[in-house]
Amino acid sequence: MKKNTITLCYRVMVLLLVAIPFSCSDFLDKPPQGKLVSSNFPTSASDAEQAVNAIYNTLRVPEYSFGLYPILDIMSDDAHKGSNLTDQRAVVGPYDNFTHVGTEASIKNWYSTLYQGVKRANVVIENVPNIVMDETLRTRYLAEARLLRGFFYLDLVRAWGDVPKITTVVAPLGLPRSPASEIYTLIEEDLTFARDNLWERHDERWSANDLGRVTVGTANALLARYYLWRGNFPQAEVAALAVINSHQYDLAASFGEAHSEAGEQGVESVFEIGSIRQEGLPIGGNQYGNVQGVRGIPNRGWGFNRPSFDLINSFEPGDPRLDSTVLDVGEWQDGIKIVGDTDTPDAYTNSLVYPGFPNGIGEKECYNQKVWTPGTNVPAQFGYNRRLVRYADVLLMAAEALNKNGKPDDALDYLNEVRARARGTNPAILPDITETNTDALNEIILHERRVELALEGLRFWDLIRTNKATTVLAPYGYRADKHNLLAIPQTEADLNGWLNNPNW
Amino acid sequence: MQRILTLLIICVLAAPAWAQNRTVTGQVTDATDGSPLPGVNVLVQGTSRGTATDVSGNYSLEVGSEETTLTFTFVGYKTQSIVLDAQTVVNVALEVDFTTLSDVVVIGYGVVKKSDLTGSVSSIRGADLTKVPAVSPMQALQGKVAGVQVSSSTGAPGAAPVVRIRGQGTFNDSSPIYVVDGVIVQDIDFLNAADIESMEVLKDASSTAIYGARGANGVILITTKRGIQGQEYPTISLSAEYSVQQLQSKIDMLNGRDFATYVNQFAPGSYNNVDAVPNTDWQDLIFDTAPIQNYQFSAAGASPKIQYYIGLGYFKQEGIVEKSAYERVTLKLNNTFHLSKNVRFGNNFTITPYKQTNTGGNAVFATYRALPVVTPRDADGNFNAVPNVGNPLADIEYTNNADRGIRGVGNLFGEVNFLDNAFTFRTSLGVDAKYFKNRSFTPVFFVSPQQQRSQNLLIKKFEDQATVLWENTLNFQRNFGDHHVDALVGFTMQNTTSEFLRLQSQNILRDDEDFWYFNQGSSITIIDSEKDVNGADPKYNYSMLSYLARANYTYKGKYLFTATFRRDGSSKFTTANRYADFPSVAVGWNIIEESFLQDVTFLDNLKLRASWGKTGNEKIEYLKIYSLVDNGVNTVFGQGDRLFSGATYGITGNPELKWETTTQTDAGIEAGFFNNRLKVEIDYYRRVTSDILIPLEVPGYLGNGSGAQITFNAGEILNRGFEFNLGWESKLDNGLGYRIGAVGTTIHNEVLKIQGGGSVSGQLLGPNSITRSVVGEPIGSFYGYQVDGVFQNQGELDAYPHMDNAGVGDVRFVNTNGDNEIDDSDRTSIGSPIPTMLYGISLGLDFKGFDFALDFQGESGAEIMNYKETVRPDLYNFEAHVMDYWRGEGTSNSEPRPSEGGVNFLPSSRFVQSANFFRLRNVTLGYTVPRSITDRLAVKAARVYIRGTNVFTAKSFTGFSPEIANENPLDSKVDRGTYPVVSIYSCGLNLTF
Repeated sequence: MKKNTITLCYRVMVLLLVAIPFSCSDFLDKPPQGKLVSSNFPTSASDAEQAVNAIYNTLRVPEYSFGLYPILDIMSDDAHKGSNLTDQRAVVGPYDNFTHVGTEASIKNWYSTLYQGVKRANVVIENVPNIVMDETLRTRYLAEARLLRGFFYLDLVRAWGDVPKITTVVAPLGLPRSPASEIYTLIEEDLTFARDNLWERHDERWSANDLGRVTVGTANALLARYYLWRGNFPQAEVAALAVINSHQYDLAASFGEAHSEAGEQGVESVFEIGSIRQEGLPIGGNQYGNVQGVRGIPNRGWGFNRPSFDLINSFEPGDPRLDSTVLDVGEWQDGIKIVGDTDTPDAYTNSLVYPGFPNGIGEKECYNQKVWTPGTNVPAQFGYNRRLVRYADVLLMAAEALNKNGKPDDALDYLNEVRARARGTNPAILPDITETNTDALNEIILHERRVELALEGLRFWDLIRTNKATTVLAPYGYRADKHNLLAIPQTEADLNGWLNNPNW
Repeated sequence: MQRILTLLIICVLAAPAWAQNRTVTGQVTDATDGSPLPGVNVLVQGTSRGTATDVSGNYSLEVGSEETTLTFTFVGYKTQSIVLDAQTVVNVALEVDFTTLSDVVVIGYGVVKKSDLTGSVSSIRGADLTKVPAVSPMQALQGKVAGVQVSSSTGAPGAAPVVRIRGQGTFNDSSPIYVVDGVIVQDIDFLNAADIESMEVLKDASSTAIYGARGANGVILITTKRGIQGQEYPTISLSAEYSVQQLQSKIDMLNGRDFATYVNQFAPGSYNNVDAVPNTDWQDLIFDTAPIQNYQFSAAGASPKIQYYIGLGYFKQEGIVEKSAYERVTLKLNNTFHLSKNVRFGNNFTITPYKQTNTGGNAVFATYRALPVVTPRDADGNFNAVPNVGNPLADIEYTNNADRGIRGVGNLFGEVNFLDNAFTFRTSLGVDAKYFKNRSFTPVFFVSPQQQRSQNLLIKKFEDQATVLWENTLNFQRNFGDHHVDALVGFTMQNTTSEFLRLQSQNILRDDEDFWYFNQGSSITIIDSEKDVNGADPKYNYSMLSYLARANYTYKGKYLFTATFRRDGSSKFTTANRYADFPSVAVGWNIIEESFLQDVTFLDNLKLRASWGKTGNEKIEYLKIYSLVDNGVNTVFGQGDRLFSGATYGITGNPELKWETTTQTDAGIEAGFFNNRLKVEIDYYRRVTSDILIPLEVPGYLGNGSGAQITFNAGEILNRGFEFNLGWESKLDNGLGYRIGAVGTTIHNEVLKIQGGGSVSGQLLGPNSITRSVVGEPIGSFYGYQVDGVFQNQGELDAYPHMDNAGVGDVRFVNTNGDNEIDDSDRTSIGSPIPTMLYGISLGLDFKGFDFALDFQGESGAEIMNYKETVRPDLYNFEAHVMDYWRGEGTSNSEPRPSEGGVNFLPSSRFVQSANFFRLRNVTLGYTVPRSITDRLAVKAARVYIRGTNVFTAKSFTGFSPEIANENPLDSKVDRGTYPVVSIYSCGLNLTF
């Protein structure tokens, strides 16, 4: 073979074997098609808004609501499991008599979903500062994210105590539990940042369709809730009064309206989750109402979280709030007769249902009326806007803090404001309270909280933070050295090699 | 370059000079029909000098005075050595080598002499692949190749078989890759077996490592037919085959009377007169006989400048269940153009349009469960409602589901020899293009409230895929005295893209097929069950870049050494893990060449070989490296409840994911005795796959939601065993030729490790799964309760832990965890889906034009989970064995008292059956018409035959067929009502002109 041919061959070989692969060094960069990856999001103002919206979405995730079933209310003296005898007996039943264990699905689902919310908040907190966009809007987005993160952590620390403090989108495996004190600091920082940077409810920068986004008022109300939990009454007083004195909120005209469809995102709503009458999370539905909705006729839901006789009997004579809180079989509501579930016995003692349960505590078929939405079908029940903070709660928090801080007269003003609204036009009922003894008034305020805020997921933690759980819940099986915290989900303890909470 | 050249020249000159030469000439012919054989290698033994026969089979070769032996070698024929005395004319008739062990073996990016092979490679001649009428040529390998398990997933026409080489290598895609004339593809369902010249199964690391990241689960090389150089007169072949398929055996179900009797036991009074109930045998109604037609035409030949092959095939299989069918046309075009002595280019192309109609997916399962006491139609001919499962006949009637597609696979290649043919450069541009669409139409109908459609439904799915593969190799081959070197370097690039679109619409105005289109007015929506309407299938959207090298070194033909290396880069991984290296080494020792064995006359071959190497599996879900952004995470604001879009991160990706790596060790011995009439090949293999991708549950604090899983390289699996291949072939003096062969494989499959997140999770797949893979057990072991009898009396019931709803006469579950109750946690491993032994036996006879073949095939050691019999929330028909039910103390300890469902039908060891089977896979009787007749008809050869496939299966499994394979190893051998594998009876005619 001639030499020039050889050289040519040689050159071709060099070209093919060496040159081309090196010139194609980006040949292997092949991003997934049609899929946005995390490194490219959020990168614009519109991305930022979507990322913030996604945090709010967590509040409608079914498992966000105590892991699907309202176990906080069921653990309290306000409610029983509900539904029929056997339905979810193994899943929901144990909370009714404190026989739940670390492997319960609801505990794990709630815990994981709260952290899902934390992650979504961290997506905003970590990435939105790098976006070139309007500074005012950016600050508001960050404040919304910080508030929601603090809000999720408040549930986490109240339910489980020491939990890992995650402030980045991607966290390492094998983290230990952070001391609760660190979580408290984080919550306080987040809510304070939100308070300082959010907009008031009636700020003109909002558009009409922003109703439901968190505000300065939300931040202050949650700070009040947080400080009461910590027993910091002076700070609780400051925060609660800040909401009141902002004059952004008021009580709805009637107690019933506060929860009704007409009252959605109304004057009393300090924090409310919007939802649409659709079965499905992406299309706007919230299963929270469906889980508690009427069984049978009309077919609205599963009927969990049945109001207890203890709750029913705790209302003062003639208190119209009882009728607006408990939906009874045979009652007419919005022109619809509540027939109920024929499989569900009207009344029975729990000892028959849950062995070991004390005799004598009975229950009857009835439902949580607060979640009721007018309608006869299931999708409509998905349209209940869950109220997370009502102005009535803020007034009662203010009253509680003021009383503890030695200002019973101021406390009575706010307490009686709540009672006056409940009383409506009937002067014969719910007289104004005049008690000024700190302890006695405190008891009255706590009772007022129970009947005003029944079945809203607040009672159990009110009992814990006021050290009443032992007395009140002992008949149901509560043990102070164990049940003040939930069990760390067993898979979580196993995966991380953690010790569980005491006595679990 | 010049230095290399100098070296080469020295090498050439160093070859011993010859003197006193003479010229030997002669003709080489086919021993069977005397036809001349062109292209036969004629070599002076002990030298590298030789020539090839010309078109007429003639050769001419100069031979030195010291040289005494000529060796004649040709692919597919037995090598002959002729000792020279003084003659100058040596005519040789070569005998066809009918064994699968031919002289030259195709390996990755090259060929090698069988005697020089250091790896474990099984070769199959193309002719053996046409013996089973099936869509995939792989079906013909059942029970024929050691180490290879081919199982039908279902018997539905067009269903691809599941192929496993040396066990189940991973939790993920464990299929081998296929290399068709140098083009890497994922399956060969598009290939017509009649177009295949040979198939080689590469099993050990030494032979697969050259395919690096694609080699871990074995490589199957396919060489398609081409015109033979020098064969100027074309060979034209025509063949036709017609087959009838039928159900192998029915499942023994309760008839109407027995069903009513049985139901009356647990629901007294259900049937007042059991003799008056109807008796419908649903299997008789659903299964019918069905034909297969298979026609082939091919023309092959060559001019001095062009080799050509044209193949045209038509295959049509109708299913034994109505509305299932597969129809395919294959067009094969292979050409090689010789531009000069050293330069050639060519193409290999296959184009395959196909259509597959799918019967109702639930029909076979519904047939199994349908109550025998219901008649299929009422007096007016309308379908009757069949409670709880639906009417299977209606299911079939209202299903209109068909796939249509076209697949084009092929390449253009160029080859240059230079520097005295020592170097060969080859470049090949390959393409695998596929277009596929599925259309499904369900009309409005009403059978029962549970089986109806109130609006008609049209679903269409479109998908295209295209792979472009560019491969470049440079081969160097040379003898240096006693040293033979064969070296290869290369690089390859591959890019694969795809796109799919899936839509549905309701309320099409007419039910007629002419109206099955989306048009204005039909509201087109997303298919309910699909996540994405449109996108790229991640399995078919990636690119690869690879470098490869191999060196074979042989000393005196005795000592063999092979080293291979491949470096693969893949877009599927992040930059840090993008490249991986896959090395292998192998040694071989042809003991037969040693002087101390020269006197052992009964021994014709004895070789030891061993190899070690690493290969990878890149067929993984690479999207798992990314945190994808989920949209549709919407929220609701405003007094009027308006929906606002939201988007956030989904489950966190694991950017550290890397390839699964298989490390394989192989040791083998090959021996031939009595003039190679007896051949033995035994291999030991040990494959350990590590870094297997497994989704593991991660801590909830990562914020991925409850129970979220992230994929890690966290598993390890062992497969080890022996393979053997025995063959005896001889011919009696009276002309009766016979051969007996046996192949066998043992498999020990074991999960060695599953871990992640710093702790061992111990099991893969959740507590509700029917299989569970745990350390120490085979992959996909069945998971359920262990039954150890039936509660015979109340005392026994009281004494043992039992479920609340268990009573006397119900099955007794073993309390495996030792606590005082029977619950989910008592479930345990109750069987393995992986056989421990595969074997095949074949017998062949030929006598005076008649040929007769029997192939048996079997598997043992695996179990089947008869899942279709379990989990009975409603009343269904039962298998007939329930009639042996417990009737009181001591009556039965295996068959519980009658019950509709409940505890007795929880997935338990009661439903785990042996998957052992022994099958007469193939029996053929053929007759080749004598040449005296064919010559007069201007036909070169003519053969007629009759054949039976799956004629007889010995099994204890109560279902249709004991194969029940599944591509997903975590759901293998779980019978959920599988479309049965059929028996086939064929007759055919082959003509060659």
